Amino acid sequence: MKRLLAAFLFLPLATAAADIAVQRLAGEPSLDPLSPAWLAQPPASIKVYPQTGVPPAAVQAATGNVKLRAQAGATTLALHLEWPDRRPAASRGVNEFADAAAVQWPLQPESGLPHVGMGHRGAPVSLWFWRADGTVETLAAAGFGTLTRQPADGLQARGVWKNGVWRVVFFRAPAAPASPLPLAIAIWNGEGAERNGLKRLSAWQTLRFDGAAEKVSLRNTAPSGNAARGKRLMQVKGCAACHNFPGNSAKPSIGPDLRYAGGLHGADYLAESLREPSKIVVPGKGYFTEQDGRRVSIMPPFEGSEAERDDLLAYLFSLR
Amino acid sequence: MSKRQLAMVMDLNKCIGCQTCTSACKTQWTNRNGRDTMYWNNVETHPGSGYPRNWRKSGGGFDAEGRLKTGHIPNLARDYGVPFEMNYTAALNPRGERGGDTHPHLEPLTPPTFGPGWDEDQGAGDYPNSYHFYLPRICNHCTNPACLAACPRGAIYKREEDGIVLIDQERCRGYQHCVGACPYKKVYFNPHFGRSEKCIFCFPRVEQGLAPACARQCAGRIRFVSFLDDAEGPVHKLVAKWQVALPLHAELGTQPNVYYVPPLSPDKLDAQGRPTGERRIPEAFLVELFGPRVPEVLKLLEAERAKKQRGEPSELMDLLIAYRHEEMFKLDPPKVKP
Repeated sequence: MKRLLAAFLFLPLATAAADIAVQRLAGEPSLDPLSPAWLAQPPASIKVYPQTGVPPAAVQAATGNVKLRAQAGATTLALHLEWPDRRPAASRGVNEFADAAAVQWPLQPESGLPHVGMGHRGAPVSLWFWRADGTVETLAAAGFGTLTRQPADGLQARGVWKNGVWRVVFFRAPAAPASPLPLAIAIWNGEGAERNGLKRLSAWQTLRFDGAAEKVSLRNTAPSGNAARGKRLMQVKGCAACHNFPGNSAKPSIGPDLRYAGGLHGADYLAESLREPSKIVVPGKGYFTEQDGRRVSIMPPFEGSEAERDDLLAYLFSLR
Repeated sequence: MSKRQLAMVMDLNKCIGCQTCTSACKTQWTNRNGRDTMYWNNVETHPGSGYPRNWRKSGGGFDAEGRLKTGHIPNLARDYGVPFEMNYTAALNPRGERGGDTHPHLEPLTPPTFGPGWDEDQGAGDYPNSYHFYLPRICNHCTNPACLAACPRGAIYKREEDGIVLIDQERCRGYQHCVGACPYKKVYFNPHFGRSEKCIFCFPRVEQGLAPACARQCAGRIRFVSFLDDAEGPVHKLVAKWQVALPLHAELGTQPNVYYVPPLSPDKLDAQGRPTGERRIPEAFLVELFGPRVPEVLKLLEAERAKKQRGEPSELMDLLIAYRHEEMFKLDPPKVKP
């Protein structure tokens, strides 16, 4: 426990709250979402944001919080998600969608974090998916639109809706992790016709095992610039012509909506997007041109002083 | 865009609304496993609500700038109609629970509120100037399909060799964006499999050199099938040479590949019962459906029909009469021997 605290102290505030300590059990975690063994454990509170980067986007939805708990048996890992939902939507039909939840893992965490929106080309993610109609699937993706079902691998999930709260347990026997695991979560409100990109998702979080060494840098240090100056630069540098963000009355949709850019993306990713816009391009219509099978962003790389760049980054980081 | 495009022409002057096409399609493809409300082919009466109800006002397609317009997914009860069962046991079995009924009769177990053909033959106008016509509809296998553009997973594709638009059932996850995006509402969600399905232009038949079932079974001989670029085929002759076959709601930007020969109609009658020289089906309504070329097409059809009546030759009328059924279809020979 002491070591865990020490780890917390080293992390900047922005991500420290979202570190999830895995509780080690002598036996196996319970698949029952209402089990006292789960409910007694103090949860981590994870903020989820409407997906606004690529249409169909959930721009009308509000941000929310998901309580996350993690337990590990000798050879198993289980996650407990808890979030408010006034009415359960459990069946699918014509124009009828079911509530759902998913957990996302990077498949190659040592080579850096994939784009939080279902990975990107060359950086695949694995997903645990549960839907209130009883569907439990392991999926894989390497970018929006590439989601593909995987063969059954023993993943189990169970959800219970009670008094306005969904509680879902995911349970699987993965390889014993030797380092902290990055994970992100997503939830769908079926009643609001949410499915696929119409969802709320979290930024990458850290699942921290007692005694495990850190192999991948999950630090998310707040940029040092001035956010207020950065907001003015959004106009000066022309960002406002293509991107929507709070206070941009033109509400353009030529590039991704940035209203939750800082909440969903790490500072490193934001900096990379300014420096090298074509490195990861999400597949919104008109966001890019195609050259030799690769997406080339229509956004030019950032031009300006380092101070200006830091101010812009500070502003983007504050959008959460 | 595909390399070639297989297309269909339907001559609305010959459609008798017998629904043989609907039956052919339904028995072939959609009579089982969650497809009750699914009519890949339907015949609706116009003016009327169509199927699904008011599909013409359901949005979808593209705006002038080529952006997808908001489209609405039909409501099961209101726009498709909840499928119902009949009281066969009670009405047809004398020893059934209602065996004592002195006037056994067939009726739905739950009162239906809507369904395909709900306003069949109603049309519009007052006697003696009432009018209606039939509009058979399948998937338009558009050159610029809105369903394809709306699918965030790339699950919908257009075949290179014939332009048939298909939904990859392995990729589809039942999000239903395509259902709303299609301005013709010809993509349906299958609640049994949790995926969307649509008319497949009977591609397994096409690959054997056979026309789609709806066209082959058509009792009125209204349907022509051939490649758009095949100058010897009937579709090219009607669409490109004679230019009498027009796409439905082309303004929605999907470039549909089913074409219609617009319906002529008898003259309106005045109070004394004399023909007025004005067609009964308002031209404005046909223009709304088939675009601004309707007036010249109707004039051409009348002129060619008059030639034929005078005993003069008319290639167009001979084509539309379709003396030989097999000449209505010109497909590629079978790729693989059956």
